[in-house]
Amino acid sequence: MTTITTEATEGPQAPGGWKPSALRRGRGSRRVPPLGVVASFAMLLLVVGWSLAPGLFTGQDPARGVPADAFQGPSVAHWFGTDHLGRDEFARVVHGSASSVTSALVAVAIGVLVGGLIGLVAGFIGSWVDVALSRVVDVLLAIPSFLLAVVVVSALGFETINAAIATGVSAVAVFARVMRSEVLRTRRAVFVEASLLLGGSRMHVLLRHVLPNASRSVLNLAVLQFGLSILVIAGLAFLGYGDPPPASDWGLLVSSGKDYPLAPWLVYTPALVTIATVLSANRISRWLRKTD
Amino acid sequence: MTPIRPVRPRRARRPGRTAAALVAVLALTAGCAASGAGSEQGNGKRQEGGDLTFLIDSLGDTWIPNNSAISSFQGHIWGHVTDKLVYVDEEGTVSPWVAEEWEQNDDATEFTITLKDGVTFSDGSPVDAEAVVANLDIWADGRPDEGINPIGLFPTTYESAEAVDPLTVKVSFSAPTLGFIPTLGYHGSILISPETLALSAEEQADLSNDIGSGPFTVKSWKEGDSVVLEKRDDYDWAPEALDHAGPATLDTLTYKLVAEPSVRTAAVQSGQAQVAYNPSPQELGPFKEQGYTVAAPRYLGFVNGFALNTQVAPFDDAKVRQAVQVGIDRDEILSTVYTEDWLPAESFIQSNVPGASDHSDEFAFDPEAAKTLLDEAGWRAAGDGVRTKGGKKLTLTLYPNPYLATSQSIDELVAQQLGDLGFEVEIQAYDVVTYGEKVSFQNPSVPAYEVTRSFIDAGTVAGILTDTDGGEDWFNVGQGDPELTRLGNEVAGAISTEEREPVLDELQSYVLQQGYFVPLTQIVQRLYLQSPKVKGVSYNGIAYANFYTAYLEG
Amino acid sequence: MAQTRSSTTVRKPDARLTRGARRTSSPYLVYALQRVAQAVAVVLLAYCFTFLVISVLPGDPVTNTLRNPENNFTEEEIARIVAYYGLDQPVHVQLWESLSRFLTGDLGVSLRSNLPVSRLIGEIIGSTLVLAVSALVVAVVLAFGIAYGTRNLPAPLARPLRAFPSLFLSVPNFVIGLLLINIFAFQLGLFQVIDSEGPAATFFAAVALGIPVSAQIAEVLIANLDHEARQEYAGFATSRGLSRSRLFWRHLLKPSSLPVVTVVALTVGELLGGALITETIFGRTGVGSLVQRSVTTQDLPVLQAVVVLAAITFVVVNLVVDLVYPLLDPRVDLRGATKRVRPVTEGASA
Repeated sequence: MTTITTEATEGPQAPGGWKPSALRRGRGSRRVPPLGVVASFAMLLLVVGWSLAPGLFTGQDPARGVPADAFQGPSVAHWFGTDHLGRDEFARVVHGSASSVTSALVAVAIGVLVGGLIGLVAGFIGSWVDVALSRVVDVLLAIPSFLLAVVVVSALGFETINAAIATGVSAVAVFARVMRSEVLRTRRAVFVEASLLLGGSRMHVLLRHVLPNASRSVLNLAVLQFGLSILVIAGLAFLGYGDPPPASDWGLLVSSGKDYPLAPWLVYTPALVTIATVLSANRISRWLRKTD
Repeated sequence: MTPIRPVRPRRARRPGRTAAALVAVLALTAGCAASGAGSEQGNGKRQEGGDLTFLIDSLGDTWIPNNSAISSFQGHIWGHVTDKLVYVDEEGTVSPWVAEEWEQNDDATEFTITLKDGVTFSDGSPVDAEAVVANLDIWADGRPDEGINPIGLFPTTYESAEAVDPLTVKVSFSAPTLGFIPTLGYHGSILISPETLALSAEEQADLSNDIGSGPFTVKSWKEGDSVVLEKRDDYDWAPEALDHAGPATLDTLTYKLVAEPSVRTAAVQSGQAQVAYNPSPQELGPFKEQGYTVAAPRYLGFVNGFALNTQVAPFDDAKVRQAVQVGIDRDEILSTVYTEDWLPAESFIQSNVPGASDHSDEFAFDPEAAKTLLDEAGWRAAGDGVRTKGGKKLTLTLYPNPYLATSQSIDELVAQQLGDLGFEVEIQAYDVVTYGEKVSFQNPSVPAYEVTRSFIDAGTVAGILTDTDGGEDWFNVGQGDPELTRLGNEVAGAISTEEREPVLDELQSYVLQQGYFVPLTQIVQRLYLQSPKVKGVSYNGIAYANFYTAYLEG
Repeated sequence: MAQTRSSTTVRKPDARLTRGARRTSSPYLVYALQRVAQAVAVVLLAYCFTFLVISVLPGDPVTNTLRNPENNFTEEEIARIVAYYGLDQPVHVQLWESLSRFLTGDLGVSLRSNLPVSRLIGEIIGSTLVLAVSALVVAVVLAFGIAYGTRNLPAPLARPLRAFPSLFLSVPNFVIGLLLINIFAFQLGLFQVIDSEGPAATFFAAVALGIPVSAQIAEVLIANLDHEARQEYAGFATSRGLSRSRLFWRHLLKPSSLPVVTVVALTVGELLGGALITETIFGRTGVGSLVQRSVTTQDLPVLQAVVVLAAITFVVVNLVVDLVYPLLDPRVDLRGATKRVRPVTEGASA
């Protein structure tokens, strides 16, 4: 999200401010992000807007519909049509963003924090700690991640927040591996070894050199994982492991929409929003990676 | 007292809540009485033989007969593979089946059942008195040490059964049990070969080992996928109440699990299957127009409604309960959530139950009366529209019943309606698992339990009113209401339906007027979408489709 | 998902073990033994992990059914039934018993269906294998098709083609499944939903499952092709007038494909995870739909068995690849770090 906010306020008036590495790099053709990336940022910005202030984007009540208006196709009055209770599908998508975005963020946060910590400790301390933690990560990797998420969510209870946690758990291994390899790489770097030789404390080295260097890969992975988490949570919701229907997460909207084949917009509108969001996250992640 | 098991899917937490939930929604829209209408697409010629494919949303769990017979899904298969002693039709009328006749002693504690001669299980062994005794014993007691449950809610007053001669069984009870005979027609009471009953739980769980005497036998089955039944050529003991005798017309019945409701209906539409169970209600309109048959048989049981917990505020005050009783606009529920052919509740039991009487004027919608009642109870309207009393708000939490997909929408409407009266209503939706853990009768945090429950005999009602004889005590009154206890005891102890009827009528009126049970609408829980070529399907008192009588056209 | 970038995660076999053993035997043998030992440990840990996670569940299918307030069972009856299933034991005792049974090859009895778990899985594993293998074939073919296209089609076609993997990864796989059924079964009537195990239905299910997987393979393949194309030899070959297509087939494809083997091995988990949704949508009976039913009914022994089987499959496939890979690619250095192209993430596309 930081990236997005920065991007939004980015402009010539902010010299010296923090900029994504791509912008910081200065000269060269990569200075201006390609159109696709700009569009991706715009999409994510829109989604964030929806989650923060849904009221600004739609005046309709997502929970109260006019039963007489059920199953209307997309129109000017109802951009995304209406559902079986005559509720405005666009309003439901907009109001569902907060939950979808939040749960994806929760999942990413768990992955970054838990996985990052495991990777950091394993890579930085090394020796038996590394061996032990690596086996734990291997176990998490060996269980298919979606299956793992399903098992975890069934243990926690079928609610969206639990689906988010389960998704986060299933992403822990990936973050742990990336973090560990980044830490190992940085540790072996000449300047870090020099710093250690010169008597820098381990904590200092960790905070000053290792973390900042590793964080770039992790950030990029986090953006990617954000998109992925939306998909995983939607998949869990599809199987019925999310909040029950009054909620309007995108995954839930698609899975409840599928029951009405005569109203296909109930599937394709939330599905398209989901796809656009995930695609944007992927595009941005790719761009960050290229400009590293 | 004849408490009987619920019809609702015991474990509907399968292919996602959506599917489970759909069960009900569907049921809802379609309207009641099996509407065999629609323009026919068959050519009117009755086919001999034929194969029918039935798409179902689940095939339940274990196949141990005792543990599965009441499953809303597996009941379809048991209904074809096994017979029952008696047949109960849609109106709740009991008629002979494997039991040719029966009589009871004066105080309804001893029943003598005479069996039809010549009935055999598909392994060739006779369905004789010994076999029936073996079945009665295992229904009543199960073998808990081996993982075989009793069939829950079998009369707990059961003492013993003995084979008087090869075709006569005498059954004894410790107390009057008027509901015993109807119970024999309920889905739990399926006759299974004694040889099967002697098997271990693990062996009984293999459907191929479960031998019945029904018009079909199990040809093959695959767990979680399908069950294929084929007809038994020597079958000749169908209930007379059915319009068919001798072997079934159809050669095979295939029950195939398809979790997605839209896939089920589309498959019927494209001719890949003949029947879709629990179709999506919104699709039914167009299907009807195209000539497809929508069958929505009602079951015998309680209507959909709230059992109020009388120990919990605000329902510890009869006036508040009565305010809710008259404060709900049931017509609005019918017109918003259901279609016009859905029936309004006339009592707290379905109107097709023998003994049910029309009490709809006793809980007619009257918002002004409701407000007056709340005023009288001391709940005064405050600035924000929410009534208060002694600084406390008039709040209420509703828990939509996950077994009824329309429950959520109904509760939203009820919340709106009660909100107009000055309630602050919250809705807490749970999935089936969590619901089972957190929501129950008498639970102090559950002021209103939303009921969906079938039964065969109105005597069941006596078992839920109070805690007499381990009763379920739905309203949490215990023994606190002598009048209710009296009525309950009289219903339970009745030794003839003639004697019971007036008491039942009085009881219905009393429960409604006290606001113990707040009816919403009559309920349909099993809904079928059928190809126009399928004819002659019959439905029993628990709304199962019976294809023994069915045939295909053209 | 397949994050192709500098995709070298350093996977370092335990340094001390390597060092100690290097004196006595060949590096390959040590490496192999180590990997096998690791694999066994991972499977056992996965077993315990799953068991403990599922044990957190409140209740179990048996008690839940019995405690249904609409059943009139007495406490004594419930206690006896629960004891029959061994569910009255403390968790660690249950784990120990379950693990010892597992080690003797006994997977226990399903709490839901009362059938032996080995029978349940045995009945359906074939169907899932067929689906997974078909999906893998679809994925590989699709991935190579896309990769070929990006290098050999004219730019206006090739450029959008590059976006395909990314698009494939952004579509929820249940949407792909619903779309395929809708178009090919209901609109075009190319397959019957009822005959869910038939070849046509299997093909479309495999497509639904294979599309996201193909994206991962394609991403790695395209990245490697790009990398190879930048090598001097490629530029040299082109400057000597070698056609793009010949260059692709003769020179770029082989070095680029080798790393794909590892990616394919890593997607095994994804195929099994994705099967959960694909099998449910296409109405197939398989391990995925079995998991679905077991999760909703908390059928611990079945879940346990499936998770462990999945872990074993994943571990074995990757073990084989890890063992064979060094023999194929001489660039891999077995001592110290095993540096090789290996995608960092095996994401969880649902």
